[in-house]
Amino acid sequence: MRNPLLQVENVTVRFGGLVAVNDFSLEVTQGTIHALIGPNGAGKSTTFNCISRFYQPNSGRIVFDGTDITRSPASEMAGCGIARSFQNLELFNELTVLENIMIGAHVHCGGSLRAWLQAKPPAVMHHIDEVIERTGLAPYRKHKARNLDFGHQKLLELARALAIRPRLLLLDEPAAGLRNREIATLDRLLTDLVRTDGLTVLIVEHVMQLVMSISDRVTVLNFGTKIAEGTPQQVRNDPAVIEAYLGKEAAHA
Amino acid sequence: MRILGLLAALAGLIVLPLVSTGYVVYLANLLLTFTVLCLGMHIVIGEAGQFSLAQAAFFGIGIYTSGLANTAFGWPFPLSVLASGLVAALVGLCIGTLALRMRDIYLALATFAFGEAMQWVFLSWTSVTGGPNGLRIPPATLFGLEIVSDRQAYPVVLAITLLMIWATVLIARSRLGRAFRAVRESEVAALAMGVPVRTTKLVAFALSAFFAGVAGAMFAIYSTYIHPDSLGFQTTILVLTMVVVGGLGSISGAIGGAIVFGLISELLRQAPSYQEIIYGLILIIFMMFAPRGLFAFIGDNLKRFARA
Repeated sequence: MRNPLLQVENVTVRFGGLVAVNDFSLEVTQGTIHALIGPNGAGKSTTFNCISRFYQPNSGRIVFDGTDITRSPASEMAGCGIARSFQNLELFNELTVLENIMIGAHVHCGGSLRAWLQAKPPAVMHHIDEVIERTGLAPYRKHKARNLDFGHQKLLELARALAIRPRLLLLDEPAAGLRNREIATLDRLLTDLVRTDGLTVLIVEHVMQLVMSISDRVTVLNFGTKIAEGTPQQVRNDPAVIEAYLGKEAAHA
Repeated sequence: MRILGLLAALAGLIVLPLVSTGYVVYLANLLLTFTVLCLGMHIVIGEAGQFSLAQAAFFGIGIYTSGLANTAFGWPFPLSVLASGLVAALVGLCIGTLALRMRDIYLALATFAFGEAMQWVFLSWTSVTGGPNGLRIPPATLFGLEIVSDRQAYPVVLAITLLMIWATVLIARSRLGRAFRAVRESEVAALAMGVPVRTTKLVAFALSAFFAGVAGAMFAIYSTYIHPDSLGFQTTILVLTMVVVGGLGSISGAIGGAIVFGLISELLRQAPSYQEIIYGLILIIFMMFAPRGLFAFIGDNLKRFARA
């Protein structure tokens, strides 16, 4: 068993009287793809926003690579090596594809005053070109983000996150709204990133075809509580999961 | 081609005082000052997307700091120009810390209120500003030499303007410029990319105040008189109109807007009572029909014309 890169310990999030996430714990193993699934409103995105430090949990701890990040500000996550994408696209719309990805590399553009002032710091550009190449965005380098089609906008979100050079990649519904061919591309890209680059991925996704194909482990949330965890096979056949998705009748059928 | 154009413009600017009348040189100084004011507004609104309406206040702070540095301390002008920028930036930093907790219309209102408050300070702080009598600005000096005419001031004003344009370009291309645009386009995404959003906004605000302060010092080099009346909201709106007319978000737009609209406003001085109505109309017309500014509008139409 390899070390957990991310540990979520007994996290609870309340919005007023509503308990969105209830005493939730999760361990994500280094070098794996871990999926977080569950019906709408189960608390997946809330958990996600806690890990990326956009929300503050009411109680519990979040530990990344042995460091407690429960109180760290969201702007420090990129520097720690945690990248995220957004469920509803959050691109820099009026900027070009290249500029979007350059801002992804923001934390790597410092160092010397020279690198700070350079429009295209050579140390960073090499990696950026690679990201652009791998995500297939090369023909669109100079296009404005808002002029891309939806599939490429989703890819740009991913590319921008990869420019952070993360150790942990948090993807919030990367396949939502994509066509089958685009999902297949995403599947290949993510698998490749984990197998050859040793990236760790935590993914929230509704597209089961992708979840079942790429995940090493799956955690199922319902009403803010963990109801199942295991390999895609185990989770698929778990009665509690079937009940959560399809209702009681189906679980006993 | 572009380099040739720039060189031609530069050559024109250098020979200008040799071939023109005193009035033209005075006007050139004024337009260059407005250029620097516009660059400041470009940084905070065009680049960082933060609606600050206090440019005239920082301009005033620059003028009075410079005046004070000349009379009280007898500093050579490069030092007083720097001091003007720094004092304005420092005030900007303090105001920004408070105002930037707000956004959009609330930020605009807060900075507007600060501008009004500063104008009141200018009117009341008689020992520094001369209050309602206005202030006779002492001539700028360098190693005992006094700058007393527009013609003498022009090379200095031009050099400072070029320096500020260069600085703006440098900032826009840098990591800081990218952070500004990231904050403008999406604050949550900027946070996720490791951009400290609040600090970045504050830096944009302070930089813009620095530019306005330097513009104030430039004004103090060639002008002999300043009255608080000309440091009110009108001036802020004038600068905003210049930036919008030129094209929000582009450096050449800010410069072009300052020059084109600066000339228009000088013409309108013949009809002072209609001046503001006409400014307002121009602003509305541009927002409706050419939101990307005069130059983008001309460019787009030329392309369309060429295709037809």
